[in-house]
Amino acid sequence: MHVLIATSGPPYSDVRLGAEVARCADRPPMVLTVIGDEGERPQASAILAHACELLSPQVQGVQTRIRVGHPAEEIVREAEEGGYDLAIVADKRDRGWVTRFFLGSTAQRVVEYAPCPVIVAKGEISPIRRILLCDSGADSSVLVSHIAQLVDLIGGEIDVTVLHVMSQMSAGPGVVGKQLRASTEELVQQDSPEGELLLRDIHMLDDLNVHPRPKVRHGLVVEEVLAEARSQDYDLIVIGAHRGEGWHRILLDDLARQIIQKTGRPVFVAK
Amino acid sequence: MAVPWLSRVRPGKIGLFFVSLFLFIQAIVLMKEGAHTLAPLVRGGFAAADLSSCLGFGWISAYVIMGGSPVAATALTFFDAGVVDELGTFAAITGSRLGASFVVLFIGFIYVLRGRNRATNLSMGLLSLTVTGTTYLAGFFVGIGLLRTGVLDRMQLRGAIAAHAFFDSVFSPLAERLTGFLPSWMLFPIGLGIIVVSFNLFDRCLPQMALKESQMGRMSRLVYRPWVMFILGGAITLISMSVSISLSILVPLGNRGFVRRENVIPYIMGANITTFVDTLLVAVLLENVRASAIVLAEIISIAVVSLVVLVIFYRRYQRVTLGFVGWVTSNNRNLTLFMIGILVAPVLLVVL
Repeated sequence: MHVLIATSGPPYSDVRLGAEVARCADRPPMVLTVIGDEGERPQASAILAHACELLSPQVQGVQTRIRVGHPAEEIVREAEEGGYDLAIVADKRDRGWVTRFFLGSTAQRVVEYAPCPVIVAKGEISPIRRILLCDSGADSSVLVSHIAQLVDLIGGEIDVTVLHVMSQMSAGPGVVGKQLRASTEELVQQDSPEGELLLRDIHMLDDLNVHPRPKVRHGLVVEEVLAEARSQDYDLIVIGAHRGEGWHRILLDDLARQIIQKTGRPVFVAK
Repeated sequence: MAVPWLSRVRPGKIGLFFVSLFLFIQAIVLMKEGAHTLAPLVRGGFAAADLSSCLGFGWISAYVIMGGSPVAATALTFFDAGVVDELGTFAAITGSRLGASFVVLFIGFIYVLRGRNRATNLSMGLLSLTVTGTTYLAGFFVGIGLLRTGVLDRMQLRGAIAAHAFFDSVFSPLAERLTGFLPSWMLFPIGLGIIVVSFNLFDRCLPQMALKESQMGRMSRLVYRPWVMFILGGAITLISMSVSISLSILVPLGNRGFVRRENVIPYIMGANITTFVDTLLVAVLLENVRASAIVLAEIISIAVVSLVVLVIFYRRYQRVTLGFVGWVTSNNRNLTLFMIGILVAPVLLVVL
């Protein structure tokens, strides 16, 4: 696996997370920093040197690169040209609120446009031992294959919880809505679509030697994912990327973006 | 070669739509004639009515009729006859919509009394009522301000006014014939009865199955952007002319009658704006520019409030509103308190 770590300096949460992920990868990672003009090159070199220092206990043969231009555009360009399997970027409030409101943060734009999965490094970085896999049912196989790769890469005992949020409510009086209040076990027993989704995920992960714990929560999707992430102190949240093609892109809400914005934990966006 | 969409066209439904439209226009003509005769008799009762009384009156009337549109049409015909002033009419129409949003909740409440689950059967009705209540009460003050400026008086729907000669020639003969053997004021209750029937017939014109088979059938599974649902709610209600009907359309769309929580609030907001299309048609049929201005003030004020919520603090509004619905349905005591509150509130507005 070839990992791209894009950093803009302190607090180096991207580099710390990169060390966790890249230490067992078969190729050394690339550490990239982007500068606005050539005058910033000395600071960029210092940032990269410190990043290498942080990585060195766990990762050998780190490569570095400086690109000149707009951070999000250059990170995406590097991801495209380098054929990376994973990009890691920190979510920093490094721009004015007007830019963030209309365009999103650098991390959000990298998530949106990078050709590979992206981990957004946020909050305190700790060894990845507890993973929350949020499955809407849209791209289960993609999510599961990424989880398997991650678990394989990180190694050791990893606790995976597969979460599905039922945000449905009754559309009107007279609807039989027992499933709207059902527990995980009940949904599985009743062969409901949600129960089938969770069973499918469990079987796929079991085949890959990962034994997850299924969980269903009822409420707004973003709120419930955030509540679950807080309640069990997960080290990584895994979600599917916003659908990126055709009318879906325009019509469907970007839940991944909202989760990245609001959570205080690293988020893996699978695509 | 067969055209696929042509096979879905139901001539019976199209015929029913034109019958409903004919009855609707006929009802307005009768109510207009009757209201002018009634005006001297009821003017005294409304002379002292303030805004809150008119708001409460429209609200209670919608409870009684189980619908807002006939009440709004009545308020406009009374305004046209000089019984009630511009702001009072605006308040009565706002009240009628608050009362109308009780209909879905009332149906759900009957299910609860039969022993069905509270949250499942009441959530949609409560959400509709809460969204309508909050946006309309905020919009009430925006609309009052808008009407006081008089800017809307200059707006005239000229195309529609040009059709009045045609309407008069088609619909006035029945009114003239009825006044031959009935007192003129009787035209008003007859018109009111016909308009209630016409709205019921409109409800039956909707192609629900075609909607289920369309892309919209996926609405129960996917979470759409709020503005998408806002436009969709507005568009469906523009056709159905009733918020309760456009909400009931959601039930068969999902296989299990479920809909995503995230999708509902903006849908109701959009529906609350275009539900005024029939009231606007009433104003146009009355040939009264100021009546049109009142309805436009309703539409603009609700649209402004809804858009402010959607753009500035939608997520917080969504959380608070759904939290409130959860609180009401959490136990019988909260539900009873809420039901007493919404039944007593309009009475208090009229009495105090």
